[in-house]
Amino acid sequence: MAVFILRRLLQAAFTVFGVMLLSFLLFRVMPGDVSARYVSGKLGKEARQAWLEKHRLNLHLLYNKDVGFRPWRKEFYDAQFFWHLHDSATFRSRSYKTNERLTDIIADRAKYSLAITVPAMALGWLLALVVASVVAYFRGTWIDHVGVFVSVLGMCIPFLAYMIGGQWLMFQIYPPAAWGLHNPFNIYVPVSIAVIAGLGASVRFYRTVILDEANRDYVRTALAKGVPLPGVMFKHVLKNCMLPILTQLVMVIPFLIMGSLLLEQFFGINGLGDLLLTSINDRDVPVVTGLTFLTAVIYTLALLLTDILYAVFDPRVRLR
Amino acid sequence: MASPENAELAASGPGRAGRSLWADALRRLRRDRIAVLCFAVILVYVVIAIVSPLLFPRWSDEHDYDNINLAPSGRHWLGTDALGRSVFQKTLLGANTSLTVAFMANVIAVPLGMVLGALAGYYAGWVDDLIVWLYTTLASIPGIILLVAIRFAFKEVVLFEDSFFKMDLDEGMAGVYLALGVMSWIGTCRLVRAEVMKIRELDYVLAARAIGTRGIVTLFRHVFPNVLHIGIIQFSLGFVGAIKAEVMLSFLGLGVGTGVPSWGRMINAARMELVVGRWWQLTSAVAAMFFLILALNIFGDRLRDAFDPRLRTA
Repeated sequence: MAVFILRRLLQAAFTVFGVMLLSFLLFRVMPGDVSARYVSGKLGKEARQAWLEKHRLNLHLLYNKDVGFRPWRKEFYDAQFFWHLHDSATFRSRSYKTNERLTDIIADRAKYSLAITVPAMALGWLLALVVASVVAYFRGTWIDHVGVFVSVLGMCIPFLAYMIGGQWLMFQIYPPAAWGLHNPFNIYVPVSIAVIAGLGASVRFYRTVILDEANRDYVRTALAKGVPLPGVMFKHVLKNCMLPILTQLVMVIPFLIMGSLLLEQFFGINGLGDLLLTSINDRDVPVVTGLTFLTAVIYTLALLLTDILYAVFDPRVRLR
Repeated sequence: MASPENAELAASGPGRAGRSLWADALRRLRRDRIAVLCFAVILVYVVIAIVSPLLFPRWSDEHDYDNINLAPSGRHWLGTDALGRSVFQKTLLGANTSLTVAFMANVIAVPLGMVLGALAGYYAGWVDDLIVWLYTTLASIPGIILLVAIRFAFKEVVLFEDSFFKMDLDEGMAGVYLALGVMSWIGTCRLVRAEVMKIRELDYVLAARAIGTRGIVTLFRHVFPNVLHIGIIQFSLGFVGAIKAEVMLSFLGLGVGTGVPSWGRMINAARMELVVGRWWQLTSAVAAMFFLILALNIFGDRLRDAFDPRLRTA
């Protein structure tokens, strides 16, 4: 177990390194001079040079070419990329725009994202599980067919249409019921839009998982022994289904923190998704790469966690 | 080198004689009425996508400022947009944009994922490590950040300028499908890798190796045909993802350029229009997308069932 965790942590370190390298390169190849956006042209060349030096943008990109490719020398690492790694790992990145520390910005904004995504995920998960159980329980009957068909129909409408239509509908029913500046507590509008838009895909996925489990031999044995169907379904089948379902949930968590970028953009919510988009627009590179770093770290840790959970809850799985 | 006869012998292996996986799947699909119906719907969309640019080549310039934002009527079947252009024609032309973007994105993504997945699965070792590292890295970055970043990186980039293959990555469709293509191969790669790892251990592959077939030849002649169906399934499912992604990018202002009619831009325009009662752009774009995605979704599922009855889903 310990060996497995150590090896996976090493892999995770490589992955996070890859994410840092990729995001660094992507935002460096964007055309245009970043300093032009943050230093007024009236201040002249010196001011711009000073700004570049302050943010270490005058250094070499990947490694210090002045010392050549000699990774054993300390000066080799005096380059933009390694400073960027250093700043991210020690949480010292600062926004170009406001010079605030990234950790402060994230702490401030994350609550708005979480206020939407956490209830949306919890509700969506619960609702999807209930609907999927009912549909799977009545498999082969018209309830099943209608349920699956409606789920597929729901999957075919673009998310954007859900948002525009949902907000419009609430406004038509009763204007103060819609989301707006004067009704900031109408958070249920974006939340329920997120829930409904995601429901179709989840119901279908959970139904497949439940039916997979329901077709196993032990279920047949239990039924043959005379255990009533609801007992089998809810006591044994659902319990055994939890593993893949929880795995899928854990995998979504890191993306929850980013918030739903589209929802935040449409409803004007000041969360991390909105921060990300404005930062990309403003070329606020430390913020963007910092957010990417954060998601990557949480994602890889979540992956590791699911693997361990699997081994803990399913004795058939052995970690090597 | 093995002679072709030997190679063929090794490839056919034991099993039902005369009926291949492909013929079997095709037969199952043809019997499936719903699959045939969905395929017909997809074909109709393809025909519309091909024919509409020929019918309305000058649509984007047909500004008519006396008739802007008209509601649907006998003269304008689906009304007009903010520049007085026909929404009906816009919707038909949008099929071209959506299908081109989705097709090209998958033409890039699926072969890329299949080849990388096959190499990783077959060669194990450092090749596998490298490819797995590459796709875990890509998967750890939220897709939308990657998409937005790539789109921004494409700003003001024009490839192959002054040639027939000119690609305006900023304004045209090329930027959108390139961005989608280079980031949506991960799922295919994972599936193919897992399948190739299984197939690699089969006896017929061992036989091919034993008669001295080179590794790369074994992989692409004997193993690869047995994972091709994954590519076909992923292609049909990837279509849906790409069409939805195009809408999302349009919403963020990073979709296809201003002159290009697209469903994403139509839905995006409805953000402001719906409140003042102009519902026709939104409805026609959503309806057009709805039926296409519905047909693609159902057809993709049936295709998967036909090729791989073990994986039966809904």
